[in-house]
Amino acid sequence: MDTKVIYFDNIWIEPPMDKILYRLGYRKGKTILNKEQKEEIEQLIWEGVSLCKPKGAYVIVPVTAKDESSVCIGDYLIISKSLAQLLKNSDYVALMASTIGHDIIKVINNEIKKGNSVKAVTFDSTASQIADKTVAWVMEAINKNLKREARKLTSFRYSPGYGDLDLKYQEIFFKELNLEKLEMSLTETFMMIPEKSVTAICGVEKIEREEEVNE
Amino acid sequence: MNRTEFYNQLKERILILDGATGTELQKRGMPKGVCPEDWILKNPDSLIEIQNAYKEAGSDIIYAPTFGANRWKLETFGLEDKVKEINVNLVRLSKDIAGQEVLVAGNLSATGKFIKPFGDKTFEEAVNIYKEQVEALLEGGADLFVIETMIDIQEARAALLAVKEICDLPVMVSMTFGEDKKTLTGTDPVTAVITLQALGADAIGCNCSTGPQDMIPIIKEMKSIASVPVFAKPNAGLPVMKDGEFYYDLNPEDFASFLGDFVEAGINLIGGCCGTNSEHIRLLSLKSKDYKPKEWLEHRISASSSVRKTLFIGRDTPLRIIGERINPTGKKDLQKELLEGKLSLVRKFALEQQNKGADMLDVNVGMPGIDIKNTMIEVVENLSVISELPLCIDSSEPEVIEAALRVYPGRALLNSISGEKKKLEKLLPVAAKYGAMFIALPLNDEGVPETAEKRIQIINEILEEAKKVGYGPEDMVVDGLVMTVSSDEKAAQETLKVVEYASSVLKTSTILGLSNISFGLPERSYLNSAFLLMAMGKGLNMAIANPANENMMNLKIAGDVLTGRDRGCRFYIQHFNKASEEIKLQAGNFPEENIKSKIYNAVLKGEKEDIEEYIKMALKEENAPYDLVDDILIPAINKVGELYDKKEYFLPQLILSAETMKKAFDYLEPLLLKENTGQKKTKIILATVKGDIHDIGKNIVGLMLKNYGFDVIDLGKDVPKERIIEEIKKTGAPMVGLSALMTTTMGEMKHVIDAVKEEGLETKFIVGGAVVTREYAKEIGADGYAEDAMEAVKVSQLLEKDL
Repeated sequence: MDTKVIYFDNIWIEPPMDKILYRLGYRKGKTILNKEQKEEIEQLIWEGVSLCKPKGAYVIVPVTAKDESSVCIGDYLIISKSLAQLLKNSDYVALMASTIGHDIIKVINNEIKKGNSVKAVTFDSTASQIADKTVAWVMEAINKNLKREARKLTSFRYSPGYGDLDLKYQEIFFKELNLEKLEMSLTETFMMIPEKSVTAICGVEKIEREEEVNE
Repeated sequence: MNRTEFYNQLKERILILDGATGTELQKRGMPKGVCPEDWILKNPDSLIEIQNAYKEAGSDIIYAPTFGANRWKLETFGLEDKVKEINVNLVRLSKDIAGQEVLVAGNLSATGKFIKPFGDKTFEEAVNIYKEQVEALLEGGADLFVIETMIDIQEARAALLAVKEICDLPVMVSMTFGEDKKTLTGTDPVTAVITLQALGADAIGCNCSTGPQDMIPIIKEMKSIASVPVFAKPNAGLPVMKDGEFYYDLNPEDFASFLGDFVEAGINLIGGCCGTNSEHIRLLSLKSKDYKPKEWLEHRISASSSVRKTLFIGRDTPLRIIGERINPTGKKDLQKELLEGKLSLVRKFALEQQNKGADMLDVNVGMPGIDIKNTMIEVVENLSVISELPLCIDSSEPEVIEAALRVYPGRALLNSISGEKKKLEKLLPVAAKYGAMFIALPLNDEGVPETAEKRIQIINEILEEAKKVGYGPEDMVVDGLVMTVSSDEKAAQETLKVVEYASSVLKTSTILGLSNISFGLPERSYLNSAFLLMAMGKGLNMAIANPANENMMNLKIAGDVLTGRDRGCRFYIQHFNKASEEIKLQAGNFPEENIKSKIYNAVLKGEKEDIEEYIKMALKEENAPYDLVDDILIPAINKVGELYDKKEYFLPQLILSAETMKKAFDYLEPLLLKENTGQKKTKIILATVKGDIHDIGKNIVGLMLKNYGFDVIDLGKDVPKERIIEEIKKTGAPMVGLSALMTTTMGEMKHVIDAVKEEGLETKFIVGGAVVTREYAKEIGADGYAEDAMEAVKVSQLLEKDL
């Protein structure tokens, strides 16, 4: 299995308009918008889209040892029962990361400072939804490659900070994926910069049952 | 075999390719995880057995097992220094097996890396990686090339260019599509064909992906626009697990039973991918003798493509609008950005034009002070991902044009090639190499001819030259050359004659840059629109314009109906029905009788710009400031809250109304103070807790609270509890709002609340954040929880009453 880091410098994410509007409180059939308001908000969303620069990276790393409460991934020991449970059928894991870049976050903060809160919340909603779809895109890309080897990612993914997977393990992602290359960085308290960046780990499993392997 | 022989054979009969190599090698003991190319060289008997079987089964072409023998793939196994040795030896091995009667295709496939604009490797790096392999395959004796199992159109382009730049042997390109009939980077089968045949692929197909049944519709789509042969290499059905082993569920008979449907769909070559073996191929070969292949289109389709979309251009399609805004001429903001190396405005203009109905984007970055070539490359790469519209590369510099066409992962339109001798000589071969469509500009070294006759003569000369490099009228778009009517009253007529001639005699597409016609005259949009419709009547099918011009776009849509390019008036009905629905909604607006209702409605509708004026007018009419607040502003904002609760308003409307309200308040505040009620704003401290850097949500809460009359002290993010305590003591703020986004940082909220209590302060706490729940808020002793900014306002107002 190829264990080199793969980088996606430019991912196209179709903006999920319905979800962006829903996050802003829009409810189809209930919320009343006139033509100008609708156009204005859509224009803002597209402006937000133009500021998002989705990028991603992943690497496949062997699981070198595991028991019920910990797993060794490459040279790293991770103590986490829930991750050990997730990886029970996996000999490899996919470490992945995605980001939508600094620009949109800077603009959101500037707009807030300037008091343009409609712009800020609309950009924020757009950025959040695009960030969600970016990590999903990276997973899909990995799965498409794995299918050829009759493998797939576990349906669930874990991220440092969720469940019992300590936030300190962010460092593993940064080292293994060299995330500086995606202009991402970590604070002392293991928060990712820019905001709305995601790191995640999935197990790589064989397709065990009579499942469709092909795309 | 040269390319002509390749085509000639395919006109006669269906050629048979080989079946799977990978799954067959595994059956013969190749372990998982090894480098297949290296293993074959160490175990040649397995390959000899497999390929001999394909030869005997009737394969006309077998693939050399060099699928992963490029430098980047071999690096994975530490074999990067053996690229030449491995490729040469493997082709020789296959050639020995094939003998004289069977052809051997040098096989190129994905490198495992992603290249720009999608990945981090440059296009040139990828081309060079493939060139290294191509040279070795040629040395080994490859008769032709196949590029297969490609999931990224740009990588397929890199491999194809690598072959074309080294030799003139036939090259077949085969893409792999997902369940959504798209490649990983979003290319559909039609778009793949438009891009790859323009770049010089000699056959285009689909392999792996799926079994025969699902591949037939893909082949059908490809064939409908292919001007080259089409081929298929499906898997032997779907992989299933039995007794711990994988196998594919279609036996050779069932697999071969799809041949008739494949021929009907248009294949000219067929073979098998994963799970197929020599028996599948034998039956295909046997049956293929009963069928005659369908021919491919004689001429290329008039179409341009991006990564994700094909734009058909022709006399039957609606008039295509090329968005003109990505051009720094006369745009100071854009000039400044390009000088600073930024592309935010370019991206913004692209998406705005796309949403306003542009079909294509003109890209011109010509301006002093920048490296135009590198800027063009960067813009093209950026736009290729962010916009689905094909690009029109607009430059007068041949090297800029070549650089852009080389990296553009689609079939571009080149703007433009004139009859000037030097330009014609330089640009035509470049455009032809990359397969771009091009705009022919009827001017030559003597300048712009005034009469249509002379312009037509130049156009004919350009077309003749273009034919010499493989172009036909379907690849050319004639610019009628719009001159200003204020200086020459015949200008419009001469241009229209050129449009009519090109459209009806040469059968090329035609284009106009509309706005020149009205230069120097008042109310230019009337002239531009009238000219557009007249030209459409003469056959014009493309225009360079600003799609934000609603009037012009509406006329264009009407013009499409009247010139028979909108079948069943479908687009017209769709466009104008939508517009009237929206207007109906707008009709439900609020009554505007007097100044009080104007203020009320301004808050309700969030008309920030007007509110101050209305307040001034109301004060002039001797309304008391307090009455305005109590009787109008507060009921209005309460109504907004009510509408928001009922979901009839959403967050942006709520914010706009709150901002309008604040603006009114700000104006009235000094007057209210004069009336002296002694009322003061309630202070509230906001902070994102220590360890957490997410503060967008908290900032929005702050804004809303300010708009609702609170005195907000925002301490920012990553704030330690000591700092919060210090600020409470300093300001006497009776309320604190805490925010945390992460499960790992929400615990800090409790530490803050506990520490404040330990200090003996009676501060009230509201907490919120993505992972914070109502239950958690109670558990840590907070006085309130807010799910969103509006709830934060309501909770703060409730807590304020108890102070």
